[in-house]
Amino acid sequence: MSTSISSTSTTPRWKAWVSAQNIVVAVVLVLAIIFPLVVDRPRFWLPNIGVRTLWMGTIAMSLVFLNKYVGLLSLAQMTFAGICSYGIGYFSVTMGWPIIPSIVLSLGIGSFAGWLTALIAVRTKAIYFMMITLALAQVFYSWASQAIEVTNARRGIAPIPRPDFGFINLNDITTFYYFALVLAVIAYVIFRYTATSQFGLAIQGIKDSPERMSALGYNVNRYRTAALTLAAFVASIGGVILVFDRNQVDPSFVSLDSTLNILVVAVVGGIGSLGGVFIGGLVFALLQNFAQDFTDRYMTLTGLVFIGVLLFFPAGLVGLGPMIRRLFSKRAKASASSESSETLDAERRAGTHNKKGQHK
Amino acid sequence: MPTQDIAISLTDVDKRFGGLRAVKNVSMEVRAGERVSMIGTNGAGKSTLFNLIAGVFPVTAGSVSMFGSVVTKQNTAKRARNGLARTFQTSRLFEQLTAEENVFIALGGRGLGVRSILPARRIPAKWHRVAELLETVGLVSEGTRRVADLSHGEQRQLELAMALAADPKILMLDEPAAGFSPAERQQLVAMLTALPADITLLLIEHDMDIALQVADRVIVMHDGSKILEGTPDEIRASQVVREIYLGGGHA
Repeated sequence: MSTSISSTSTTPRWKAWVSAQNIVVAVVLVLAIIFPLVVDRPRFWLPNIGVRTLWMGTIAMSLVFLNKYVGLLSLAQMTFAGICSYGIGYFSVTMGWPIIPSIVLSLGIGSFAGWLTALIAVRTKAIYFMMITLALAQVFYSWASQAIEVTNARRGIAPIPRPDFGFINLNDITTFYYFALVLAVIAYVIFRYTATSQFGLAIQGIKDSPERMSALGYNVNRYRTAALTLAAFVASIGGVILVFDRNQVDPSFVSLDSTLNILVVAVVGGIGSLGGVFIGGLVFALLQNFAQDFTDRYMTLTGLVFIGVLLFFPAGLVGLGPMIRRLFSKRAKASASSESSETLDAERRAGTHNKKGQHK
Repeated sequence: MPTQDIAISLTDVDKRFGGLRAVKNVSMEVRAGERVSMIGTNGAGKSTLFNLIAGVFPVTAGSVSMFGSVVTKQNTAKRARNGLARTFQTSRLFEQLTAEENVFIALGGRGLGVRSILPARRIPAKWHRVAELLETVGLVSEGTRRVADLSHGEQRQLELAMALAADPKILMLDEPAAGFSPAERQQLVAMLTALPADITLLLIEHDMDIALQVADRVIVMHDGSKILEGTPDEIRASQVVREIYLGGGHA
């Protein structure tokens, strides 16, 4: 039968996992694991660079997932994360509930917000979808800035202490960093797995041709809704890291600035790459922390980096790898083709070329 | 009076796009298992009629039935789940995926259930069916290629495999031979004649040879109306059809 079926059944399973992409992922993961051991000032590096990269990356990854696999650009991902953060603050501090139920319930509320957004936005496409998600994000921002009984308006909810689960105490910064890393890896695995599932194939089909999918009997909007809910769930995971990173929650979490920061992280990392967002997050966190050392206009510098990436690496910083590879293969090809044209010349001179042509 | 034996029944169907009346008061019936070709010049309303049957647009007036039940208000996905499969005039495939993944999607998981989160690669029975379908349309060696890299003819063949994947009761093909070489046309005719006898086939085709060779009955559309229907022989002999196709007016 089909060659691919026989080949997948004969190759050992581990070999299917060896790809350039997975090698890069493994290397990055190892670097992330040894990060606390190699930095000179863990008290600075772990929260300001490490943890921040992880939550920005996780939230941006949910945006990239929607863009890459569903073809929808959502500007509400930061808002879903913020809703989860608010939930944790409200339940655990304002209501005084134990922390674990607060986190679980807040993850649910963040996902539910995604589902509600989908109900409204999923019938629209492209720019309209983006505008609706942005509008809903702004609606939540203005509500959060005013609802004094729930969100404590502009002052927000503080302090939200990091939990101590007994065997894991998140007040230790290294432990907290690894906690964040585990959550980010879980988020990544969720998306990688989803992409290979039947559901994942179906949403990719919907991205390419919704008309065809409904002609095949798929309920397109229901699939889109499910994908957006899943992305909101992952964004909420980012919100869990975020709220314990800041030890508080206030409207700036869901402001337009924060929303756009996530978009910048996604684009700088590579809007077509799930893992690339962490590179984008790292660059962004480094800029936020160090740009002020060189210049007073650090926002300008961030903007310039953004423009530079858009101009020179349209696939984001992860696009660098393939770009370099292509450069080398082009050179290899160029030298190969010059060789072959040399042999062609030689053949022509020897009068063999015409004969060869006739053979064909 | 619609019954179970009538696969498709249109009653006084009208479709307007703004000021344009694309389909004018068309009534027709296709019996279950019948092979019907629709012919007519560009703009005759064939594809619009197709889309009305498939449920892509709502009808402006009239009603549509499938196997005796009225489906006028049903959406495309619902009609598809009730056994209607179609191809598109211009290929609408999933370009970023491979040919076999395209067919796999066409096999469905239809409903969005718990099973749709299973990994796609671990369902060997489905992948065997995919290979069979690719074999049927002669694409078996192209299974792992991305659709964007397939030729136009291969994409049309893939469209067919996908339409067949759902085990349809009604198969509607919109110009399946467009862009085919003469050899590919013969292949297509052989494949269509070999379809199981219980599949109802509704075909739009500009190639008269194919349209007349495959069909039991031919419907001629002109300017949004059904102007004639009959057996292939009757259509061949018809003066009206000749006039339409040869730009008549001199008769």
